Amino acid sequence: MAHTPFQIEVLTPDGEVLGGEAEMVSTRTSLGEIGILANHAPLLGMLEPAELRVYRSEGEVLRFAQSEGYLQVGGNRLMLLAQEIHAPDQLDLAALREQLAEAEQALAAAGEDSERRRAALRERRRCQVFLKVAEGAAS
Amino acid sequence: MPSQRDVRNRIASVQNIRTITRAMEMVAAARLRRAEQRIEALRPYAEAIRRMTREAASAAGEVRNLPILAVHASDQRAGLLLVAGDRGLAGAFNSQIVRAGVAAGRVHEAEGRTPLYFASGRRPASSLAFRGLDPVAAFTGFSDRPSYADARRIAQRLVAAYVDGEVDRVEVFYNGYVSPISQVVRRETLLPLQQASVMGGEDDAGDGASSSAEEPRRRGLVEYEPDPGEILGRLLPDYVEVSIYRALLESTASEHGARMTAMRNATENAGVLIEDLTLQMNRARQAAITQEILEVVAGAEGVS
Repeated sequence: MAHTPFQIEVLTPDGEVLGGEAEMVSTRTSLGEIGILANHAPLLGMLEPAELRVYRSEGEVLRFAQSEGYLQVGGNRLMLLAQEIHAPDQLDLAALREQLAEAEQALAAAGEDSERRRAALRERRRCQVFLKVAEGAAS
Repeated sequence: MPSQRDVRNRIASVQNIRTITRAMEMVAAARLRRAEQRIEALRPYAEAIRRMTREAASAAGEVRNLPILAVHASDQRAGLLLVAGDRGLAGAFNSQIVRAGVAAGRVHEAEGRTPLYFASGRRPASSLAFRGLDPVAAFTGFSDRPSYADARRIAQRLVAAYVDGEVDRVEVFYNGYVSPISQVVRRETLLPLQQASVMGGEDDAGDGASSSAEEPRRRGLVEYEPDPGEILGRLLPDYVEVSIYRALLESTASEHGARMTAMRNATENAGVLIEDLTLQMNRARQAAITQEILEVVAGAEGVS
């Protein structure tokens, strides 16, 4: 069965990644997985690094690795902001593993309950999710 | 008087310089266009972040005690971030930032605050070190084409410095991009975040008036995941990141604009120099010919 399409706008600091219409968008807020269909209630959500899936139609699903960001739904429009959004085949596995190792080091060096420690934890989380998305594409 | 060969060699070397400066002008022009596009590309994202920050803040009501918003009780250390380039040959682009930053640092000192310098770009980092004002942290290697990750690295360092009490305020100095031939030094206070500029302030989007009128009504209807206060806690650092990214992008566009202008001037100067040297060479050649004729005539007269 086909769902009603609605307008989406997916933005990063480097410009628009995706526009047009979709039938469903799924990602992850800090409270858990979320799927947005047409006519969703107004929402402002904080997104965790996740695999972003945009269902253009029944058969066409776009997958992305998405970093932390925000999701706003209102007036049957969806706006998704994230610092980074990449197609899985654009991800550089070697570079990600390196960044993950750097984050681990930063974590080990950071003081207890410091802002630096929290930043390192978030960076580690992003690397882990991106790696998972990239490996999902490879297998 | 230099010999003809000396002058010819100089002309050749000035011609080489002109080829290089002309190529650099062209490269700078191409990069400038790309840098301008990136400033444009950031705008919708930056506006959306601002709008969401405002909405989350108004929904959170009494803005909670977020460390990033808290003004420190003691105001003794001022963090100064100088944003310029990795390379020179761009006119006053680098030096005017260092000059403005160091002057501001002196004013802070006179007012009893210790200035702590942060540098983005190799040039300001080395200029500061040369003046004996070693930067606390230097971020280099991206001034040609900064990425959001670079901005995030700088923002995280500065936010951490502020929240962990290393500095009590943070100011940023950068070349604001006005047009390809005009850059102005901008000085902005980054931290503590000015509540007025984030929450209130003029709307940059046209729908501002209607959305603020609707806000009280909408507040009850919008779901928040998680609660607005928590979202705000992450939006605010992102707001700082976006501000720094904008500064980096504007600085990059300014750098390419300044280099383009500087290289165009250098190319023109080289042209003038070549003309002067050619004239000088022709004179030298003419003088040599006149000399030879005189010698021949004098020789002929001596024989007769």
